[in-house]
Amino acid sequence: MMPDLLAARAQMGTSLAFHIIFSVLGVGVPLLLCISEGLALRTKNPVWMMLTRRWARAAAILFAIGAVSGTILSFELGLLWPTYTRFAGAVVGLPFLLEGFAFFTEAIFLGLYLYGWDRLSARAHWLCSFPIWISGMASAWFIVSANSWMNTPAGFVIKNGKVVDINPLQAIFNPSTPFETVHMILASYVATGFGVAAVYAVAYLRGKREEYYRKGLMLAMLLALVATPLQIVSGDFNARFLSVYQPTKFAAMEGIFRTQSGAPISIGGLADPNTGQVKYALEIPKGLSILADYNPNATIKGLDQYPREDWPNSTIVHTSFDGMVGSGFFALLVAVVFWALFLLKKRLPTYKWLLWGVFLAGPLSFLAVELGWMVTEIGRQPWTIYGYLRTKDAVTTAPLLNVSFLIFSLIYVLLAVALIWLLLKVARRPLPQVTLSEQGYDVKEPEIEKVGV
Amino acid sequence: MDVALIALVVLWWALIVYAALGGADFGAGVWDLFAVGKMARKQHGLINHALGPVWEANHVWLIFLIVGLFNVFPSAFYALSIALFFPFTIVLIGIVLRGAAFVYRYYALDETGFFARSWSRVFSVTSVITPFFLGVAAAGVASGRLIAPDGVPRATYLAGMLTPFAFVIGAMAVALCASVAAVYLVVEARDTEHDEALTESYRTKALITGAITAVLGALGLLLSISEAPVIWQGMLARAIPVVIATMLIGLGTAVALYRRYYRIARVLIIAETAFLLGSWGLSQYPYIIPTRYTIANSANDPTVITTLIIGIVCGLVILLPSLYYLFSVFKLPYPIPGLRRPEQARQTQARKNNEMIVNK
Repeated sequence: MMPDLLAARAQMGTSLAFHIIFSVLGVGVPLLLCISEGLALRTKNPVWMMLTRRWARAAAILFAIGAVSGTILSFELGLLWPTYTRFAGAVVGLPFLLEGFAFFTEAIFLGLYLYGWDRLSARAHWLCSFPIWISGMASAWFIVSANSWMNTPAGFVIKNGKVVDINPLQAIFNPSTPFETVHMILASYVATGFGVAAVYAVAYLRGKREEYYRKGLMLAMLLALVATPLQIVSGDFNARFLSVYQPTKFAAMEGIFRTQSGAPISIGGLADPNTGQVKYALEIPKGLSILADYNPNATIKGLDQYPREDWPNSTIVHTSFDGMVGSGFFALLVAVVFWALFLLKKRLPTYKWLLWGVFLAGPLSFLAVELGWMVTEIGRQPWTIYGYLRTKDAVTTAPLLNVSFLIFSLIYVLLAVALIWLLLKVARRPLPQVTLSEQGYDVKEPEIEKVGV
Repeated sequence: MDVALIALVVLWWALIVYAALGGADFGAGVWDLFAVGKMARKQHGLINHALGPVWEANHVWLIFLIVGLFNVFPSAFYALSIALFFPFTIVLIGIVLRGAAFVYRYYALDETGFFARSWSRVFSVTSVITPFFLGVAAAGVASGRLIAPDGVPRATYLAGMLTPFAFVIGAMAVALCASVAAVYLVVEARDTEHDEALTESYRTKALITGAITAVLGALGLLLSISEAPVIWQGMLARAIPVVIATMLIGLGTAVALYRRYYRIARVLIIAETAFLLGSWGLSQYPYIIPTRYTIANSANDPTVITTLIIGIVCGLVILLPSLYYLFSVFKLPYPIPGLRRPEQARQTQARKNNEMIVNK
């Protein structure tokens, strides 16, 4: 039997880990759809349309799972953390509400986009893709600003145990907001770019070299190339911000237990809170002081400045952080090498090792998203609302939370297995036949069709 | 005027819209369950076709409701989250499984295969369970016994949920969803599919479930005298005209269906849903959860609510035209820019045909 608090955290964590994959794709894929459909209309090249159609079909399934897993989260806020929701609802409800609207707009235009191929004119259909990626980005911004508020709460005062003087705008634009929201949105584009590129890298490795695969790979790698360097810069800003605003998270990320000047960077290794060491790590002397403060002798606050009960789990946070950064740099390397070779050879590089690199960067980018989220969330522990509400005080009094965790875990396994099975089936179908027509494009899906589209 | 009350009215509207749109989604799933024999395949097709473009948007109303409730009435939401832990968890599982099941079945390549058939079953079964437990949750709130006498919300305090009243309201919620869906599907079957047998079958279904809803509604009303006294008193005090209007509209819907004025029936069944939920709201005023949480003692800071209302208005300015466009493209026969030419021609033709049918 799991204790209730642990079960609730496990259920919430599983739900977020599951949902974040789909929300990342929900932000990134619509942008790809918009670009490729725009290119189809502009260049009159049916291959772009084939790509768009194929992506749209996968997107329809992925977004639906994103919508239902998002519903789980909105329920779980209340079902698992009612005390948190009472506090947060009072102060920072606005971004949740606006996120609802953004998601609503996204769902409406998705409906038009995915089911309106034969009803809407080519131009109207393309225009419908804009609200999708814009509101996808907006909903990411809103929901992450609410999460930022949990990290750096603002816009209220506690008087006699009551929350008063609430200022919702201050709550939305709390100190973390600009850093966290940008990092999350860029992460979505990086992960989507490499995720899609990985699919076509596999096709290339299997010897498929038609224009369809080349265009798919190039567009995805282009998105990755633009987003990844920006993401690295944004990550650097985040770390420096955390060193001031959430020093416990920062210290746990870097595995700094002892306050010191000229602190080293520990790469890899296992942070051990009992010995205050990061075992097996590669140390760069003074590295952290330089990165955090541009000064090799700068003093970095360690976890020893804070009572032990306020420490996050430094082992998990440090390892997750290094995993995220490592994956990010690997992805950057792949993107840079890919495009450098492209410019050198004036055509798409097809070295096996490079395609393998692209293929690996796909899952690794998603891993980076998951690990980054773990750094934010586990790094904030033991607080739900940093400095105000401890996680153990936020959990519900309802019983049987471990049963609930078990049931939801089974549901996720079921959904994931079915999803993967279905996506593989869809991917193995013959490509749709696209021809130009006076309505823009005529698309014939292969014959094994049925009731659906 | 009290901003909390304004916000509550907005939320209640969202509840009504959710019942009229999301409820119909559940109802379609209920019909999916009963689709057997030769017509089954055609019925599945009709339901897929009707739900495909709109189901995701329909269900966002629920998210809007949840989020709105915890923003405007944080402490009441806190109490509801704990006290309704079990029915809400079941509802959540239902919503998740049916949403996923619907797309899995829709996009399954082989509709007679094991994959599609199993998810189809999941879709229809959860479509029955979910509205039932939503009804049970609503009955729990209405009963006034959701929160234990000492005022501490507890998930294990099940008074108000394990009662005949809760069972009747749960069943009524399912019947209402089924009848709303049947009325919509009548219109879809006639105007989109042009299938007379299917149209007639949904007409009969709409009439039967409408009658069942009415009977269960009357039973619920009778039971409320002892089981939900606050609601009964409130109804006597201020909701009587709305309750009578609900009954009359219900009768009107039946007449419209009987005489085959399907589009009128569709408008009436939406009005019926709105009046039904409206009468509940009016009867329960000024309680959020009778009898512990009132609008006054659980509302958020008025300045926060004002900001929220501004946010809602801004959101609606974008949302309502978009929603109208969605329904125009897929559900309404009026001309709208952006349609393909053949599609426009088809719609115009369909409209003419329908006018001819009505005029005959």
